[in-house]
Amino acid sequence: MRGLAVHTLVAIAAALAWAAAAVAAPPLRVGMELSYPPFEMTDPQGRPTGVSVRLAEAIGRHLGRDVVIENIAFDGLIPALKTGRIDCIISSMTATPERSRTIAFSAPYLKTGLALLVGAKSPVRSAADLDVPGRTVAVKKGTTGHQYASTTLTRARLLVLDKESAAVLEVVQGKADAFIYDSLSVYQNHKRHPDTTRPLLQPFREETWAVGLRLQDATLRQQVDAFLEAFRADGGFGRLGDEFLAEEKAFFAARGIPFYF
Amino acid sequence: MSRWLAHCIVVLVFVALIAAALTRIDSPWNWQGVWAYRAKFLQGFGVTLAVSAAALVASTVIGGTAALMLGSRHVLVEAVARVYVELIRGTPLLVQLLIGFYVVASAVGIQNRYVVGVLLLALFSGAYMAEIFRGGLAAIPQTQRDAARAIGLTPWQSLRLVILPQAVRLVLPAVAGQFVSLVKDSSLLSVIAVSEFTLAAQEVNSFTYSTLESYLPLAAGYLAITLPLSALSRWLERRFRYET
Repeated sequence: MRGLAVHTLVAIAAALAWAAAAVAAPPLRVGMELSYPPFEMTDPQGRPTGVSVRLAEAIGRHLGRDVVIENIAFDGLIPALKTGRIDCIISSMTATPERSRTIAFSAPYLKTGLALLVGAKSPVRSAADLDVPGRTVAVKKGTTGHQYASTTLTRARLLVLDKESAAVLEVVQGKADAFIYDSLSVYQNHKRHPDTTRPLLQPFREETWAVGLRLQDATLRQQVDAFLEAFRADGGFGRLGDEFLAEEKAFFAARGIPFYF
Repeated sequence: MSRWLAHCIVVLVFVALIAAALTRIDSPWNWQGVWAYRAKFLQGFGVTLAVSAAALVASTVIGGTAALMLGSRHVLVEAVARVYVELIRGTPLLVQLLIGFYVVASAVGIQNRYVVGVLLLALFSGAYMAEIFRGGLAAIPQTQRDAARAIGLTPWQSLRLVILPQAVRLVLPAVAGQFVSLVKDSSLLSVIAVSEFTLAAQEVNSFTYSTLESYLPLAAGYLAITLPLSALSRWLERRFRYET
């Protein structure tokens, strides 16, 4: 009987020690959708990589915590953050007033804007041209383009798609007049379909990307803000840009289109 | 204890279990945010109802035709039906929708995504229906056909008066199950931007970030379509009950 009690105590002590070790340095769980190269993507071996992954790893090093990347569909990221499945979102997410009502954002780390990918034969010249009965607009579900179209382009027909590639296909096949997305994606998609699409890159609405955090998690927010400042001062963003986006950076800078860290 | 009372008790226990699970999640409810989008839900529900009903009728016709073709003595006719059934049943509906809409329908020149959606859904469900119908026809003993011929019925009369009334009763439960699947499978039409019920809920979720408040009405809405279907099937089963 005594032997059993001792054993039980030892087992409990071991469990407590293990729990304490786990509490001391819980890994930082970072949520992102790995389908947005070169920010969030997977390498040929299926490992997460890209600008946001490097950023997450740098935050982990700064905080002395391991980093776990959770691949979650874009419109599921905020629910995952709110229910505690992940600790923060680094997924090229725009800091919007709507989102700020439910989650907190760090200081912005990248400036870009909404642009248009229009069909080569479409007469559309600006976002205002789309707010006309008979026009069809493709968007990716849950993005700022989706929000913009559903609130501002009320006269156009809206096609809500799960995948960026499907939205591009709608434009390529002439089923939609335009796809609303950020300048960089519009530029890259136009390069893939140069004959069937036309890019209108000058942003009609400027946006900034930031790290998404829980409203009540002020500690992590301060830590991330401090990291972003140090990382920028250290030239970390410049190095990431040169590694992943050298060509795009030059193209956008030459045309005066905002896209920078 | 009456059957109804038993059903009610089981339903209540389930609701209580789900309610208990929900109270363990400490995220505050946001029903007002979702209520603002009720028109979107209703519109999506209407689209799902219409698309499902159209696909249900079309898939019954396609399935019946394919079942007869599967039983055909012409090798080519049988082969066409067999290839259709195996091709459809062996590939995911998601792939069929994407290829069917962006490749096949584009090549043929059908631009309306609702028409294409109904057709693809009916083709998908029709393959399963064909096997259900074929099974039902095969289950009628050969003696029935022989007897029908012996009393001088033509093949058509034999099918209509002897084989079908018995086969219908045999296949009803499986057909009802297939109809319920079809209603739920219609949610996949959102990948070709058909603004049906599930897409409506997903959109509301992405605007309000209120996942449960968006998806609980979705579950209730699908039940509102599928439960009457099951009830109808049970009623038909009773109607087609013969002394055997």
